[in-house]
Amino acid sequence: MTKDLAVAAQRLCKRYDDGKEALSGIDFAVKEGEIYGLLGANGAGKSTAVQILTTLLLPTAGSAKVFGHDVVRDQQAVRRAIGVALQDTGVDPLLTGFEALELQGRLYGVSQGGARQRARELSELLQLEEFARRRIANYSGGIRRRLDLAMGLVHRPRLLFLDEPTTGLDPLSRNAIWDFVRTVRKESGTTVFLTTQYLEEADSLCDRIAILRRGVVVAEDTPSRLKRHMRRDVIELEPEDPAQIDELLATVRRLHPDAMQEKEAVRAFVSHGADAARELLDAADRAEISLSGLRVSPPTLDDVFLEITREDDAQHLERGAN
Amino acid sequence: MGRLRFVEEIWLLTGRSLKVTLREPWAVVPNIAISLFFLFVYNAGLSGIALLPAFGGIPYLAFILPVALVSGSVGGAGAAGQALIRDIESRYFTKLRLTPVSRTALVMAPMLSGMIQLVVQTVLILLVALLLGLKLPGGLAAAIGVVLLAAGWGLGFAGYAVAAALRSRSGRSAQAATFLFFPLLFLSDTFVPLSLIKADWMRVAARINPTTYVFDAMRTLLAHGVVVTPVLRGLAAIVALAVITLGFAVYTAQRTLRQA
Repeated sequence: MTKDLAVAAQRLCKRYDDGKEALSGIDFAVKEGEIYGLLGANGAGKSTAVQILTTLLLPTAGSAKVFGHDVVRDQQAVRRAIGVALQDTGVDPLLTGFEALELQGRLYGVSQGGARQRARELSELLQLEEFARRRIANYSGGIRRRLDLAMGLVHRPRLLFLDEPTTGLDPLSRNAIWDFVRTVRKESGTTVFLTTQYLEEADSLCDRIAILRRGVVVAEDTPSRLKRHMRRDVIELEPEDPAQIDELLATVRRLHPDAMQEKEAVRAFVSHGADAARELLDAADRAEISLSGLRVSPPTLDDVFLEITREDDAQHLERGAN
Repeated sequence: MGRLRFVEEIWLLTGRSLKVTLREPWAVVPNIAISLFFLFVYNAGLSGIALLPAFGGIPYLAFILPVALVSGSVGGAGAAGQALIRDIESRYFTKLRLTPVSRTALVMAPMLSGMIQLVVQTVLILLVALLLGLKLPGGLAAAIGVVLLAAGWGLGFAGYAVAAALRSRSGRSAQAATFLFFPLLFLSDTFVPLSLIKADWMRVAARINPTTYVFDAMRTLLAHGVVVTPVLRGLAAIVALAVITLGFAVYTAQRTLRQA
C-alpha cells in the first residue's frame, strides 16, 4: 500500500547528540502527484524532517520511505528518485550556472548531450539564460534560488523537495517561484514536498499541509478543511482612539476570554459572527468606547495556525505546571 | 538515464575540481614557491658540505631536491583537503551528497585532482633543477620514478588531509592537522646523510620516519638511476602510508557522510 505513496513517514524521531529532540515521532503520507507542505515556525523541525527524507541525516527512530525505498537502507534508490532544493546547500561559486547544471545532470547519469540540452531547457524556463555563462559567485540571492530549483529538476525527478523555497524573496520572485512549481507539477506530474513558515504560501500552493510544532504534527489536512474545521468566525474591533485599546480588550474578554490584541485591533474567535458582533457593539457602547472599525470574517490559515499553536502552548504550560 | 560507473563519477568530479583550481591559480602558487625556495636557498647555502666523504660523491643538488619535492607533495596533498573544505564551506558538498554518486568517489575526486596538480608541480621543479645543473645519470626512467614517488607520497598525505577535512569541517582545523608534516619532513636525513647526524634520538627518529626511505629512494634515482633495493624500500614506505591514510579517509567518509 505504501508503494503508491511518494513519502510515508512513521513515528519518525530525531534526537541530536546534544540531547535536543527535533522530531518526536511524526507520521505523514504524501500521495504521488500532490503538492504537500510542512508548515511550521523556525525550529519546529521542518529542516530536520527534510534532511532525513533526502538521506542527509539518519533518523534516531521510526521509518520513512520514498516511493517504497527506505531512506536508511536504500539511500541510493531514494537519491535517484528525488530532486532537492535545500535552503542550506550551495553551489561552487567558481562554476558558471550552466556548468553546474550540466555537471548535476551528468552525476545522475544523463549523457553529456542530454545534460546540456536539459540545462538549456531549464535556463530558459527559469529565465536564467543571461546568467548561465556567468560565475555563480556573482549571482544575487533570487537568481541563486532559481538555479537551485533548476538543479533539483535536471534529472526529471518524480519527487521534488523544496526547503523554504521563498524565504527572504521579494513578492515578485516569490510569485514566480509559486507559478513555476505549479507548472512543473501540471506538466510532468512531479510530486512536490515543501516546507514553509508562510501560511500564505501553504494556503495558495499546497494540496495538503501538515502543521509542525515542536517536532510534532499537530494538524494535517487540506488548507480549506483546516479552515472549516475551526467552524468559527473571526471578529475584529478597532477603537477610534488607540489609547482605548486596553479598555476595549478588557471589555471583549469579558465575553470572549481568548480575545487578543493584534496591532491596533482586538481580535476574537466566535462561533457565530453576526450574533457576537451585536453583543460586542452593545458592550463597547456601554463602556463608552467608540469604534472605528468592525470586521467579521471566516478564519484564515493564519488563524488556524495561531489557534493550534495557542492550544499547544496552553497544554505545554499545563504540563510544565504539573 | 543510466547509472554511472565509478570511473565516470571520478572522472566528472575530478574534472570539475581541476577546472575550478585553474580558475584560481594563485592558490597553487605559494606551494610551488616554498618548494623552489627550499631548492634555491639550501642548495646555494649548503652545497659545499657535499664535499664531505659521508655524501659519497652525490652532488648537493641531487641530495636536497627530494626535500623540495616531498615538501611540495605534502603541500599539494594539503590542497586536496583544502578543496574539500572549500566545498564543505560553500555547501556544494551537501548538494553533491544528495546525488546518487558513490561516497568513495566524492572523497577520491579531490585527492585525484590534487595528485594531478602534484605531478605537474613535480615536473616543474625537476625542470628548474635541471636548469640549475642537475645531472640525471638514470635518464628519463629515473625522472619518471621520482615523479611517481612524489605523487604516491602526496596521495598518502591527501588521504590524511581529506580525512582531517571531513572530521573538522573547517579550514583552520584541517590546516592545523597538516602540522604533522613538520616532524615528518625534518626528523629525517633532510639536510645531511644519517652518518653525519650526531644526536642518537634524531637518528632513531629518522629510521622510524617513512620519509627517510622516500628521500633515499629519490636520491638514489637522481644520483645513480634505478637501483632496485632503495626504490622498493621507498615504495614500501609509500604504500604503507597510503593504505593507512586512504583507509582512514574512506572510513571517515562513510561514517561522517551518513550522520552529518
